[in-house]
Amino acid sequence: MTAIVTTDLAKRYAEVNALDGVTLALEEHRIHGLLGRNGAGKTTLMKLLTGQVFASSGSMEVLGGDPVENVDVLSQTAFIQESQKYPDTFRPIDVLRIAAGAYPKWDQAYADRLVERFQLPTKRLIKKLSRGQLSGIGIVVGLASRAPLTFFDEPYLGLDAVARRMFYDELLHDFAEHPRTVVLSTHHIDEVANLLEHVVILDQGKVLLDADTDELHDAALTVSGRADDVDAFLAGREPLEHTRLGSLATATLAARDGDERAAREAGLDISPVSLQALFVHLTTANASATDPATPVATA
Amino acid sequence: MRIRNVIQLHTVNRMQAFGWPLLIMLVSLAIVLVIGGLVINVATSQGAESLTEARQGMNTGMMFNGAIFALLGPLIGFGFTAMGQYFPLALGLGLTRREFATGTVLVFVFNAAFYAVIVTVGKVIEVATGGYGLGVRFFDVVYTGVGEWWQTLIQTFILILGVALVGAAITTAFHRWGQPFLWVFWIALAVVVVGILAGALLSEGFRGLVVDVAAMGWVPWMVVAAGIGAIGGAIWLALVRRAQAR
Repeated sequence: MTAIVTTDLAKRYAEVNALDGVTLALEEHRIHGLLGRNGAGKTTLMKLLTGQVFASSGSMEVLGGDPVENVDVLSQTAFIQESQKYPDTFRPIDVLRIAAGAYPKWDQAYADRLVERFQLPTKRLIKKLSRGQLSGIGIVVGLASRAPLTFFDEPYLGLDAVARRMFYDELLHDFAEHPRTVVLSTHHIDEVANLLEHVVILDQGKVLLDADTDELHDAALTVSGRADDVDAFLAGREPLEHTRLGSLATATLAARDGDERAAREAGLDISPVSLQALFVHLTTANASATDPATPVATA
Repeated sequence: MRIRNVIQLHTVNRMQAFGWPLLIMLVSLAIVLVIGGLVINVATSQGAESLTEARQGMNTGMMFNGAIFALLGPLIGFGFTAMGQYFPLALGLGLTRREFATGTVLVFVFNAAFYAVIVTVGKVIEVATGGYGLGVRFFDVVYTGVGEWWQTLIQTFILILGVALVGAAITTAFHRWGQPFLWVFWIALAVVVVGILAGALLSEGFRGLVVDVAAMGWVPWMVVAAGIGAIGGAIWLALVRRAQAR
């Protein structure tokens, strides 16, 4: 069953098309990665799907219904956003108390454990918390709510590497025990690559890639070796990236059947492309496609 | 409808919702009492006639004592903070606009009733004790009504509820249209005020009308105040249905 379906979804502001014809279908009980550069439209998409802003055109269905002003949908949806504003006079404990009442599947014991694990000072005024501690509030709410559909928008801004690792561990562990649909937006792509089962890349408000991560492992490869050999291998093909350094060169390209064997026969080294590298290649290539002044290949 | 969650959103911090306004009110009342005590002390040393004059003078002059705004001030800001600070969090926690508006109106009404009762009880005590034996006024002032106790109850209720609704409407409009709305709002208000002043200065007939309006009875004034609150409430409810998270 699909948790989220959008068709030609668009959100236009006065000076920018934040989302432009987004068509997606995200299956339930999976962890989906929503990736994109700053301003790509990730937060706007999540705000639309949680009824926080209104679509300019197109349609969307979340957990079987239109999310806008829909209590049945929104009571099963948690949206943790890095830009969440809290009242000046609130303490973390106030937010957690309200969240406990707002989410039907809230687990207070789990919330208490998370508060301890992330060392969240629950009785300190929120305006006096650090950026990382603010993120901690969102993480506790997002995980302990056990909402059937949970959106995490850059949930660990300001957290150190250890705390981010703890978040990944908690997310995976709790997801295994309580399967639900998670949409995770992040810039730490390599850190979450192993968590994601499906990836959507947005760029300039449009879907650039929509694929399972299993497919992506074989989607591209990087070849390196003598520049002449690399050039010969690339003959007639458009690489995602092509870098030349003296007599050596490296190129990343969309993989075809037989590429690995052909590259080995040409004496080239082959390495897989990480999700982050693929993301960089795709978004850079897309930028150069829309802006002729930006070259893809660097020499 | 998850109205209870919205009410909890506004009242979860009890100190902020009730504690601080009441504490600030008590401190302000204490200052008025100290000032009254000092005046009476000085007047007592100057003889019985001076003491009577001091009591009467304070009782008359303090009809316009604005110390009660130490309590009403934070309550006036309640409408602004409801939309400026609680609305984004309500949407963030998956509450609908309809739930937020319904719960917030209930909180506004409860707050207005709660503090109207506090002010009325204070007024009854103040009147019964002759201004706490000093002739001072804190609750029994023109802003909350100097008539019967039930008039203070109604007037304070309408005042608090009205400003909360108008404040929420202004904040929602600001969120929707930004700074241009504020410019238009303040300029329009300034034009109205300057227009009335100019009319009163330049036209005798208009001046008479202004005096008549100012002197109209308590009931018409309450109708006007309730009308302004109702218009503010209607505008707010219309705007909040299409308000978006920022």
